[in-house]
Amino acid sequence: MSELPIMGPALPEIFLAIAVMGLMMVGVFVKPDRALPLVSALAIAVLLVAGALIAAGGGGYQLAFGDLFVVDRFAVFMKLLVIAGSVLAIIMSEGFIRREGMDRFEYPVLICLATLGMLMMVSANDLIALYIGLELQSLSLYVTASLQRDRLRSTEAGLKYFVLGALSSGMLLYGASLIYGFGGTTEFGALAAHFGELESVPVGVITGIVFLVAGLAFKVSAVPFHMWTPDVYEGAPTPVTAFFAVAPKIAAMALLLRVMMGPFGGMVGEWFQIIWFVSAASMVLGAFAAIPQTNIKRLMAYSSIGHVGYALIGLAAGTEEGVTGILIYMAIYLVMNVGTFACILSMKVKGRMVEQISDLAGLAKTKPAMAAALLIFMFSMAGIPPMAGFFGKLYVFRAAINAELYTLAVIGALASVVSAFYYLRIVKVMYFDEPAEAFDPVETRGLKAIIGVAGVIVLAFIFYPSLLADNAAVAAVSLLQG
Amino acid sequence: MALTLIVLLPFVGALLPGLMIRAGRNGCALATGAVTLLAFVLLMSQAPAVFAGEVVHARWEWLPAIGLDANFFLDGLGFLFAGLILGIGLLIITYARFYLSRNDPMGQFYTYLLLFQGAMVGIVLCDNILLLLIFWELTSLSSFLLIGYWKHLPEGRQGARMALAVTGMGGLAMIAGMLILGEIAGSYDLSTILQEGEAIRASQWYVPALILILLGCFTKSAQFPFHFWLPHAMAAPTPVSAYLHSATMVKAGIFLMARLWPVLAGTDWWFYIVATTGLFTMVMAAWIALFKDDLKGLLAFSTVSHLALITFLFGLGTPIAAVAGVFHIINHASFKAALFMTAGIIDHETGTRDIKKLGGLMVLMPITMTIATLAALSMAGVPLLNGFLTKEMMLHEALHTEWAGVPWLLGAAAVVGAIFSVAYSFRYIAHVFLGPKRDDYPHHPHDPPFGMYLPPLILIVPVVLIGLFPAAVAGPLVAVAADAVTGGNLPDYHLAIWHGFNLTLVSSLAALALGAFLLWRHRQANAVRLSVPRPEAKRIFETLVDGAAAGARLFTDGLHNGSLRRYLAVMIGACILAGATAFLNASHAPGGRELTHVPIITLLAWAVLIGACVTIVIFHRQRLLTLVIVGVVGMLVSLGFVYLSAPDLALTQISVEVVTVILLLLALNFLPKQTPRDSGTGRRLRDGLLAGLGGLGVGGIIYAVMTRDFTTISDFHLAQSKPGGGGTNVVNVILVDFRGFDTFGEIIVLGIAALAIYALLDGALNGPAVKRLRSWVPDQERARDRHPMMLVVATRVMLPLSLMVGLFIFLRGHNEPGGGFIAGLVVAIAFLMQYMASGFGWAERRMKIDYHLLIGWGVLAAGFTGVGAWIAGRPFLTSDFAHVHLPVFGDFELATAMAFDVGVFLTVVGSVMVALANLSRLARVTEGPISDDPMDVDPQRRGPGTGMPDAAHTGKAEG
Repeated sequence: MSELPIMGPALPEIFLAIAVMGLMMVGVFVKPDRALPLVSALAIAVLLVAGALIAAGGGGYQLAFGDLFVVDRFAVFMKLLVIAGSVLAIIMSEGFIRREGMDRFEYPVLICLATLGMLMMVSANDLIALYIGLELQSLSLYVTASLQRDRLRSTEAGLKYFVLGALSSGMLLYGASLIYGFGGTTEFGALAAHFGELESVPVGVITGIVFLVAGLAFKVSAVPFHMWTPDVYEGAPTPVTAFFAVAPKIAAMALLLRVMMGPFGGMVGEWFQIIWFVSAASMVLGAFAAIPQTNIKRLMAYSSIGHVGYALIGLAAGTEEGVTGILIYMAIYLVMNVGTFACILSMKVKGRMVEQISDLAGLAKTKPAMAAALLIFMFSMAGIPPMAGFFGKLYVFRAAINAELYTLAVIGALASVVSAFYYLRIVKVMYFDEPAEAFDPVETRGLKAIIGVAGVIVLAFIFYPSLLADNAAVAAVSLLQG
Repeated sequence: MALTLIVLLPFVGALLPGLMIRAGRNGCALATGAVTLLAFVLLMSQAPAVFAGEVVHARWEWLPAIGLDANFFLDGLGFLFAGLILGIGLLIITYARFYLSRNDPMGQFYTYLLLFQGAMVGIVLCDNILLLLIFWELTSLSSFLLIGYWKHLPEGRQGARMALAVTGMGGLAMIAGMLILGEIAGSYDLSTILQEGEAIRASQWYVPALILILLGCFTKSAQFPFHFWLPHAMAAPTPVSAYLHSATMVKAGIFLMARLWPVLAGTDWWFYIVATTGLFTMVMAAWIALFKDDLKGLLAFSTVSHLALITFLFGLGTPIAAVAGVFHIINHASFKAALFMTAGIIDHETGTRDIKKLGGLMVLMPITMTIATLAALSMAGVPLLNGFLTKEMMLHEALHTEWAGVPWLLGAAAVVGAIFSVAYSFRYIAHVFLGPKRDDYPHHPHDPPFGMYLPPLILIVPVVLIGLFPAAVAGPLVAVAADAVTGGNLPDYHLAIWHGFNLTLVSSLAALALGAFLLWRHRQANAVRLSVPRPEAKRIFETLVDGAAAGARLFTDGLHNGSLRRYLAVMIGACILAGATAFLNASHAPGGRELTHVPIITLLAWAVLIGACVTIVIFHRQRLLTLVIVGVVGMLVSLGFVYLSAPDLALTQISVEVVTVILLLLALNFLPKQTPRDSGTGRRLRDGLLAGLGGLGVGGIIYAVMTRDFTTISDFHLAQSKPGGGGTNVVNVILVDFRGFDTFGEIIVLGIAALAIYALLDGALNGPAVKRLRSWVPDQERARDRHPMMLVVATRVMLPLSLMVGLFIFLRGHNEPGGGFIAGLVVAIAFLMQYMASGFGWAERRMKIDYHLLIGWGVLAAGFTGVGAWIAGRPFLTSDFAHVHLPVFGDFELATAMAFDVGVFLTVVGSVMVALANLSRLARVTEGPISDDPMDVDPQRRGPGTGMPDAAHTGKAEG
């Protein structure tokens, strides 16, 4: 009774939680004009330390907080991706927030808090822990979406995200309570053991899973729970959109994987149809709805819906290979998206942000390096070999085919054909249209470096794919075997 | 090893032109040529092995986990293609050196060219279909760079874009096909797949795989209906056209069909798709080519036509046709590349490619004319040139194959195609070189420098030699290549010019004659062409794309129109649908538990509850009325708790109801009494339907769940309450002990909520909203006695009593219904009533407590109680208790939980009062200074525009 619960495995999270509170204090007590750069720099440092702690913790299977919290290789893999996404988001936003009247030190603090929530999500081993992590993340994100308080679109985005997010949280809780009611516990391991003994799955559990998936599908913005995505992506300040597109998606995907493969891993047959449908619908919608878009942020929203659909193919397969595929897909997705958004953040004419696709016209002439980078990202997103994006698709398609989900693989391939159309349209605009007004020079060294490094990774992935693939495979094994 | 090197060389070499361009244009071209030559020599070093029938392998494990390995193999087919790619590549590099002008960035050009060359060699040599896919798309990418090389030409851009869009999309479709193929065969190695023909053709996934792969092949090789991109890609520099569109890229599709021929061919599906497409494209493209006035346009459509010829031959599915196909690959590559180069020379020297502006060049450019004529005659299929041989073989096969039971159809179509082919070939000679000399050429034409006509000249050599001695010159190569295509089932055949006087020869000669006649009547034929409708594929493609985009826009705008309500409707609808599916698919029949008896009183309460809810929905725009009914619902729920023997919950519910209704009333005072009408009938019906379905669904789930047996944890709490927590009131023990942590969190949330109210209203009072508040006019007449005496007297009397009740409830809470939370609410209500009765001014002067501090102390008190447990060496919030006897109250336990309860109490009181105080600040803004008097009657106080004010008189009384 008297000893403290095991907390060691959660050291990175504990550190981050305390450090974030410290950051808030720093922000309050430092002079307002110096607060943002200082807190930003500290936030990056804090996140990096947390990342180092995660990496140093290794990946042996460990439980903490009375089995509420789990660390394994899968968690380490996903957490490092999340941290990378968050750090890059802060670096990328440097110039933007200074210029666009968003220079409040709360921004990096909120990103750190959201990251903390995501880390908790990745490590959740219990329905309650799942929910707490999810809400910590979501609440921080609602606020960041509406951070430009005096811009109507930003506040509208935040409000919509909040209302719809609250609804989805409600559904998730409803599902979780049903599952608790039938499982008699909220802990994943015990749930898996309990459901493993059942001969037939009770109606409450299936309904519960449906609602749980609905709630999580909202977070990864999968069809038909994607409705918020285009509006929020377009309305939120661009660096926030860049953040939204990457880290939260990875965390939510990790959570979805852990829940589906953990407590419900034994009844893949019951839920794979849901995931199958969600995946197919996301791919198709992501492909077709993006065609008429003229705003590049909105386009990226549909693109991310499509990408989530591709990643979910791996979950529909429900195999170790499928999980590996998802991990690889999400890692590559991170790099491509960060690079693309770094380019979008550099779309600035005479100090004013522009976000129409037509503004990219003739970029190849005015800014050849940036055009080349964007070209690489677009090809990669379209899944055209030899860019990294091809390998992401290859892994999940292969998993689907090995799991005999031929129809899903074919739908995916055809959707990628359609989506190639709009990715290539951007390339066409950049390379073959008459130059529009030239963009200002890329603002910060951070942005430049991100564009460059992301481009090189996407290009060079083909030469050393096993670096990522092997780690992902190990992580997938650890998720499935515990 | 040599194989891997052959593939890698062009890629590595692609760095050279960029570096060597500083050494001048010659150095650059030489370096590029040297790379290609080295690769070519390496390839030739394998020739003995290949001609001996061996298959050379090179293996390197790359990503074995997904079956992606850098495996290469070289057989006859690979050798043929690699030879064509590298050999013609060498000629093109020479040609381009002289063709490109000084202003063109040559280094860039050669870099792209080498990249492309490497990708092509990769396609034909690789032994792994995943690797093949990579090289396949690499050709699309690098060709895109090459075609778009002349950026200043708008048509070049469009051509590049269309080439990329069509071939790129086809390639993506092929990925799926290849994956399925690999899955059926159990390996992604081509050499393994080629052994699994039987299994693949028998698989139920054969047809989808075939269609997906053919999509890739047809788009790449510009077969109908994807033929339109090739002519538009002709805006590229001529060396590019000559290389990509005669010898290499467009042949990639053909190559793949040849490569997979042993696996895929021989079925009805293959025959009807491939042969029909091939023949149709052949005739159609030849017809279009006849009327193209652009030299390169003519050649482009003739290329489509000849590629279709090869496709047709492979599509027939017989080994002998495959041999003919392989042979024609060689022939077509030689004469077509030569033709493209002469077209480039003509363009380069005369400054135009428009046939209408040309003619009479025979005298001016004799060398060019000789080369072009030989190549064109070969294309027409004139005997003694290589084009004749394969045309004969094609006609022979076509004439002897029946299509869907019709024996003459293929033959007739093939002859028609041959006629057109002859006509456009002759036109290339007649309308360009023959005729009178003109004096309006843009430049003064003459033969080009030696380096420029050397490459086509070299290509003409095999055209003639094969034409004269087919078996000797091309025989071995055709044999090994065709052997690879047919998978070792090489038929008995004979390459020769003379096969005797037969139907084939007759039709061939007839085609020559009729073709010449057609050219003679070119003008009339053109009139015929112009008089029939000409569906232009490019426009159809664009219309389709535009249509798809418009459709997508319609769909997207309809779905994502920015309306939050629509989003919510979609989400809820989706949830209902998914939930219903899950519910109905599972065993959802009612469980076996016995239903409890329903007494009339329950039924009545249930009816009232439903009625109240329905009323709320109907009158939801009347805010005040809605609030009252919400209160009714709350009361009914608390009565329900009483009925179910949960007095604690009932007490809590009632006090919470009272506090929230009062606070809400005060807040609603500042808002319009009605909400605006915000939805039409249709939308309300939709929402009603969704709500009804959702309610029914949840009801169904509850019914299904509650009629089944389940275990509950209440027994544990009932048993542990007294021994573990020292109280018999289980609810209170749960709150302050078992779930103390939850409660601690909740009071913090409560405190934060109160602070948030403060922050929000504070912001509003300092912002633009204050102006609106100042000019706010109450929309109803106000009572004149602002603080009525009855209420004042009653609340004063009640105050000590209420406080007493609060204390009583607090103290007995641990064992009997009550506790800190309820006590806090009761006390808060007591205070609230004082404020309501005598106004904020009066009450505030007497209550000199800072409620913010109260919240803080409350949270701290609860927190310290928890920490106290640490001192006793136990986990946070472990409670301890002792029995105490006090004279008046009797025997009761004094638990540490009680200190915790004090914290809860303080926080609750503080939060409610903070909310109240802030609402009062709003009132002060709107109503001006507030009197401190306990009771006042202000006769002037009226609503807007209601009569004359009475004489100024303020009644005062002491309470």
